[in-house]
Amino acid sequence: MIKLHNVSKHYSRDSKALDNVTLSIEHGEFVSIVGQSGTGKTTLVKLLIAEERPTAGEIEVGGWDITNIPERHIPFLRRQVGVIFQDFRLLPRRTVMENVAFALQVAGAPHQRICEVVPRVLDIVGLAHKVDRYPHQLSGGEQQRVVIARALVHRPKILVADEPTGNLDSVNTEEIIEILKKINEFGTTILLVTHNRDVVNRLHRRVVTLSGGQISSDEKEGKYRL
Amino acid sequence: MLSLLRVIKFAFQDMARNFGLSFMTVLILVLMLLSINTLVVINVLTGEAVRLIKDQIDVSVYFSYDATDKEIQEIKSYTQSFPEVVNIDYFTREQVLEQFKTQHVDDKDVLAALNELNENPLGATMVIRTREPKDYAKIISALNVPEYENIIEAKSFGDTEKAIGRVHTITTNVEHFGYALSALFAVIALLIIFNTIRVAIYTQRIEIGIKKLVGATNWFVRGPYLVESLFFTCLSVAVTAAVVYFALRFLEPYVMVVFQKTGILTNYYLSHKMQLTGLQFIAVLFLTIFSSLLAMRRYLRV
Repeated sequence: MIKLHNVSKHYSRDSKALDNVTLSIEHGEFVSIVGQSGTGKTTLVKLLIAEERPTAGEIEVGGWDITNIPERHIPFLRRQVGVIFQDFRLLPRRTVMENVAFALQVAGAPHQRICEVVPRVLDIVGLAHKVDRYPHQLSGGEQQRVVIARALVHRPKILVADEPTGNLDSVNTEEIIEILKKINEFGTTILLVTHNRDVVNRLHRRVVTLSGGQISSDEKEGKYRL
Repeated sequence: MLSLLRVIKFAFQDMARNFGLSFMTVLILVLMLLSINTLVVINVLTGEAVRLIKDQIDVSVYFSYDATDKEIQEIKSYTQSFPEVVNIDYFTREQVLEQFKTQHVDDKDVLAALNELNENPLGATMVIRTREPKDYAKIISALNVPEYENIIEAKSFGDTEKAIGRVHTITTNVEHFGYALSALFAVIALLIIFNTIRVAIYTQRIEIGIKKLVGATNWFVRGPYLVESLFFTCLSVAVTAAVVYFALRFLEPYVMVVFQKTGILTNYYLSHKMQLTGLQFIAVLFLTIFSSLLAMRRYLRV
C-alpha cells in the first residue's frame, strides 16, 4: 500500500529530515509513527501527499509511483489519501456540511452524490446535528471529527493522521482514536503520526520509531519507546 | 460545466461571507477610477481653455490703400495654398472704412478728419487663422518677402509673433503637464489596485492551502478569485460611471459660466462613454486578474 525505498529528504546540506528510509506498509494496517520533534515524522506525511518531494529514493502509494509526480496529478493523489492535521485546517468561512462537501465538489462529484455521502459521513463521526455550524462554533474535538469526515468522503484506502490529538484533551483524544480504529476496521490503512505515549501503548499495533531521520525500530505490536 | 457553476457559487459565497473585504476592495477601485476620471475632466477643461485661447489668435494683414485687387487676390490665393491655413476673412476697403466709422462713432474729430480727406485712406484687410498657433510664424515669414513689401502695409507682425510664441509655449506646457500627471496617476492607481488585490489574497492564503490539500486543482482554487475580480471590476466601473455622470451634471452650470458654452463636460462624457468605460473596464480587469494570479502563485505551491 505504501512503500518507501531508500528515501531521503534534505532541506539543506546540514538539515536531513529523512535519511535513507525504507518502509513498507500493507493494506489494512494501523501503523503508529513515533519519534521526537525534528525526527522527520511530518516530513514523511508531506512526502506521502506530495507536499514535498524526496531528495533521493522512491515512494509508492497504492501502487502509484509518486516520487516525481507531476504537479497536475497531485490533486488526484490527495483525493485518494485522506489527511488529518493537528491544526484541523478547516475552511473558516464554510459550515461543517460545506467543509466536508468541498472535498467532493473539488473532485467534480454530482450534487446528488454529495447530498447522500456527506450526511452519512457526518453521522459516522457524530456530527449530524451540527451541519450548519462554522468551525469557530465547534470544540477542538468536534473540529477534528469534521476533518476526519472530510478525509473519509472519498473513501480513501489510506488515511494519514499527523498528530490528530495534539490539540485535544484526553476525552476527545479517546474519541478520535476510536473513530480511527473503526475506520481501520472497514479496511482503510491508517498511518498515525503521534507524540502521545498512551495512545500508542493502548493501540497494540505496529509502531515505527524515527530517530535522526532514520527508522530506529519497527515493531509489529510495539510500544512507545524513546 | 458543474465545476464552473461551483466556482461561480463559491465566488459569490466568499464575497458575501467576506463582505467587509469585498466592500473595501470595490471602494478602493472606485476611488482610483474616480481620480483617473477627475484627470480626464481636467484634461477636457484644459483642452477647452487652450482651444478658446487658440481661437482668439489670428494674424491680420493690412494692405496698402493703393494695392490692386489683382495683387490682393494673388496674396490671398498664395496664403490659402498653405495647408496650415484653416480660414481667411477678407474685408474690402469699403468694409474696413465702415468698421472704422463704427468703432469711432463717438469720436467726432476722427470722423471730421476722415470727411476732410474726401477719399478712403484705408486699405483692405485679410484675417488669417491657422490650425496651430505655431503655424503663424511660417505664414508670417512667407508673407514677409520683398515682392509684397509695397502691397502689405502692416508692420505689427513681430509683436504678434512674440505673443503667439508665448501662447504656443504655454499651451504645449499645459498639455505636457496633463500627460505627465495622467501617467503619474495611472502608476499610482496601478500600484494601489495591485496591492489591494494582493492584500485580499494574502488574507485568504491559509484557505488556498487547505483547498489544495483536500485535492482542489489550481484552477478550481483560482476560479472563484477570477470571478470575484470580474465582479469587482464590473461593479466598480458601473459605480464610477454613475458617480462621474451625476458629478458632471452638477458641475456643468459652473463650467458654463467660465466657458460661455453649455454641455462641455456631459457632451464629452456621453460621446466618449464607450471608450471611457470600456478602457477602464479592460484596464481594471487586467490589473485585478493579473494581481490575483500573481499573488496566488506562491500560495498555490502546497
